Amino acid sequence: MNNRDPFSSYHPVVNFLYFGLVLVFSMVFMHPACLAISLFCAVAYSIYLKGKKAIRFNLLVMLPLFLFAALFNPAFSHEGGTILTYLPSGNPLTLESITYGIAAAAMIISVITWFSCYNEIMTSDKFVYLFGRVIPAMSLILSMTLRFVPKFKAQIKVVSNAQKCVGRDASNGGILQRAKNGMTILSIMMTWVLENAIETADSMKSRGYGLPGRTAFSIYRFDKRDRAAIIYLICIGAYIIAGAALGGLRWRYYPTMKGIVFGAGPLSIYLAYFALCIMPVIINIREDRKWTALQSAA
Amino acid sequence: MKNFLKKHKWKIIVTVLVLFVLGFTFWYGGNAPGLRGWNAAKSEAASVSASPTASSDISPGPSTAETQVPVSPDAQASAEPAKADESAVPLTSSDHPLSASEKVSLAKSIGGDKSSEGVEKGNTDYSASQGMTINPNTGKDQYQTDPVPSGKPVPVEPQNTTITDKVGTCTLSVRCDTILNNMNLLSKDKWELVPKDGVIFAMSAVSFHEGESVFNVLQREMKRAKIQMEFKNTPMYNSAYIEGINNLYEFDVGELSGWMYKVNGWFPNYGCSRYQLKDGDVVEWVYTCALGKDVGGYCSVGS
Repeated sequence: MNNRDPFSSYHPVVNFLYFGLVLVFSMVFMHPACLAISLFCAVAYSIYLKGKKAIRFNLLVMLPLFLFAALFNPAFSHEGGTILTYLPSGNPLTLESITYGIAAAAMIISVITWFSCYNEIMTSDKFVYLFGRVIPAMSLILSMTLRFVPKFKAQIKVVSNAQKCVGRDASNGGILQRAKNGMTILSIMMTWVLENAIETADSMKSRGYGLPGRTAFSIYRFDKRDRAAIIYLICIGAYIIAGAALGGLRWRYYPTMKGIVFGAGPLSIYLAYFALCIMPVIINIREDRKWTALQSAA
Repeated sequence: MKNFLKKHKWKIIVTVLVLFVLGFTFWYGGNAPGLRGWNAAKSEAASVSASPTASSDISPGPSTAETQVPVSPDAQASAEPAKADESAVPLTSSDHPLSASEKVSLAKSIGGDKSSEGVEKGNTDYSASQGMTINPNTGKDQYQTDPVPSGKPVPVEPQNTTITDKVGTCTLSVRCDTILNNMNLLSKDKWELVPKDGVIFAMSAVSFHEGESVFNVLQREMKRAKIQMEFKNTPMYNSAYIEGINNLYEFDVGELSGWMYKVNGWFPNYGCSRYQLKDGDVVEWVYTCALGKDVGGYCSVGS
């Protein structure tokens, strides 16, 4: 858990509700303004959380992915009323297929980025705390699966270092020998994974995990600050849902682009959506300011 | 019982919630039978009276009134002659996308097993004498094409033809009258694309080079008239397949809809890239909402 991030110190319900709302809205709203807001806030938050690493990831992985996804659509869809030119195959290249490709790409990127932020904030203990009572088996499996990749990576380093000591690492010897060594390491890892999963399950069982009447230790307290945040999230979420249901975010890409852009209603929904998405960044900046103010005062 | 309920309270609640969400999304996604614009045809009579899906019913009746699209008189006059048995066609009676075989059987059930009126059977001897290579085992040529009726041109493979400088003239038109009677099946976003009289490209004389196919002419003229047209090459049938013209695509008006073409009043039983044009040919592209039944081109080589 990143101590620098005050939003993650909120109650898990707040964290989960926030990410639930933001992810669902990002996936559902195809209005260009919503996509832009969601993408901007996701990138801003990921940079706040992970700093240089996030910038590098966004530029090296997300930008090419964005371009690829944006070009993918016009290559295969030729629907749309505004013909720009004709492709060598003879089918038209339309403005609508390009904009739809960009919109779909923005959606994919923002959802992926939101999930990368989610993984930073919603640690597995928070997840188990939230869902351990309702769906004990499911939440244990989920948290084990989510923990699997980082744990696997750490363990493979341990194993390969140990193998290196006896000269049997994947970096030792000729190409055939290296492949052989790599296979051995992989086989060790497989055994470890299976054993580890059973051990975890057994250990949880022997502790009475999921039995009725058992409580679990947690350090989460639902205080005033959390109540305010929950009320804020529910109000703003309800406003956005109501606005979208009333058609305030109507937008179509095919056959010609058309939709509601300006007006008091739509603008207030964009504003609400922005206020929702940017919430953790605002909270964090405010807390940071408070912290520096206290420090300089002392 | 009480203990059981208490023990599995959460499991039951979660299951019910999941089922509810799934049901809601199914309904919201528009897959509920009532939302797709069709009546699950419980009885023939019910669907005739209730569904405004009359395909060839060109009289200004309740069906056109319900779609709220005024049909101009000349559109009605120039539409295909109506046939009694096709006056009311329940387009489909299912609440899920149909498979190809289901569509064919549905189309059969709509108007019996018959082809449209005036459709002739293919003639194997004639087609063979015209140069079609028919596989005796399947009764079709190498591109899955049945023999053509006698007197009709056989398919010409585009890769075997040379386009000369000799210029000919043919007549081309593109129209979608049948959609006017089925507007309720078309997404509202596309209503503006359907012309009031159903004419997308008015009948006009166009020139072509000898050796060119119906597809070449359609593509060039659509490009020239700035009308959107999308096609897909299907190697299996050695032809281009027209998916949409003027942003009106196949399946836009129900599961049985799409573009068809006829030359001199005949719906060829092969793709438009394989129909070589002759001077004076009349090429008509028409949109069907019922596998060709509403334009008189169902089962193009008879059955």
